[in-house]
Amino acid sequence: MAVKWILVGLVVIAVIVSAAITIFPQDSNLDPTRQHGDISTAFGSPILGSPDAPVTIVEFGDYQCHQCYNWFHNTKPAITRDYIDTGKVNLIFVDLAILGNDSRIAAQASHCANDQEKYWEYHDHLYNSQLPTIDGGWASKDNLIGFASDLGLDVDLFKSCLESNKYSGRVLTNTNEGKSNGVAGTPGFFIVNSEETSDLISGAQPFIVFKHILDDMI
Amino acid sequence: MQIIKMVFSNPRYLLLACALFSSMFVGLLILSEFIFLEPYVISHLPPGTELGFALITILSFLSALVIPMNIYRINILKSSKQKMGGGIFGSFVGAIAGACSCGPVGFAVISTFGSVGATATAFLTNYETPIRIIAIGILVVSYFTTVRSLGMECRLDSRG
Repeated sequence: MAVKWILVGLVVIAVIVSAAITIFPQDSNLDPTRQHGDISTAFGSPILGSPDAPVTIVEFGDYQCHQCYNWFHNTKPAITRDYIDTGKVNLIFVDLAILGNDSRIAAQASHCANDQEKYWEYHDHLYNSQLPTIDGGWASKDNLIGFASDLGLDVDLFKSCLESNKYSGRVLTNTNEGKSNGVAGTPGFFIVNSEETSDLISGAQPFIVFKHILDDMI
Repeated sequence: MQIIKMVFSNPRYLLLACALFSSMFVGLLILSEFIFLEPYVISHLPPGTELGFALITILSFLSALVIPMNIYRINILKSSKQKMGGGIFGSFVGAIAGACSCGPVGFAVISTFGSVGATATAFLTNYETPIRIIAIGILVVSYFTTVRSLGMECRLDSRG
């Protein structure tokens, strides 16, 4: 009888491990313990900027969100210039892909680009290519593969990654992480240092807001 | 112009117009992320959003003009309440066009109504500018209709 239960237990463990491997495939860039304040950023982007920076901006965003586009073009350049490039702050992007079907596939594509160590180049290319229509085709699978080609990625490898849906679970996990932290719109930001996490900063807020909070927390 | 003077010479209608304009203007600016209340109260006009700001201003102004005129008509001339429909409809359509997008309202709609909500949000976001222009068109038509009928009804009223 005991042997039977041990066998059942082993089967259950095997199923759970298989499911985990399927949902969260092996990724050399992945740190499953990565945490910023109460937020798990394990399945988010690689770190932009110095990993040793004392402050981290965690951005929850959607590639089809026009306000994320506004933040990317109007606020992020000044943050990059004054804080990220100077090593004071780093940034992690976490998918909150909710606006449409193409949001999810675009987020998956960014992780496929990460397989070839071009996450941030691909991320920037998506926001530079965004058109103001949700599911209007600018982030279709064909266009996403085209973007990979523009950046000189191995297109066959990228295509097989995208078509396998290997990162669908990762995008879903990130989206749920945003929701569980109370992010109810994109972009949403938390600013975290070793002692505290800011309140949620909701929307494409101007640079002066971030400057004020960052200067307080550095 | 005489009709406008006639309606807004009554301070109650002027007050109503001011209340409508300020609440609609500020409300739409918050929804469209021109004004933020947290963590600091701040307003900004990012490059590329000037058209959206202009449409919100026009929409709020026309709503504040047309709705009190229609209420005046109902109160003074005991006209049908149905005739107010154009102004209210125009304001409502214009307001919901900007309410969705990637802000909390859009997310709440998607979370509550699932794929139907996502489709509606996508439609309202994709066609935000044309919807607002149509709403302004409805309000302009409603304004001229109201001015014409108020003019006719007032002439008849003064003859009577």
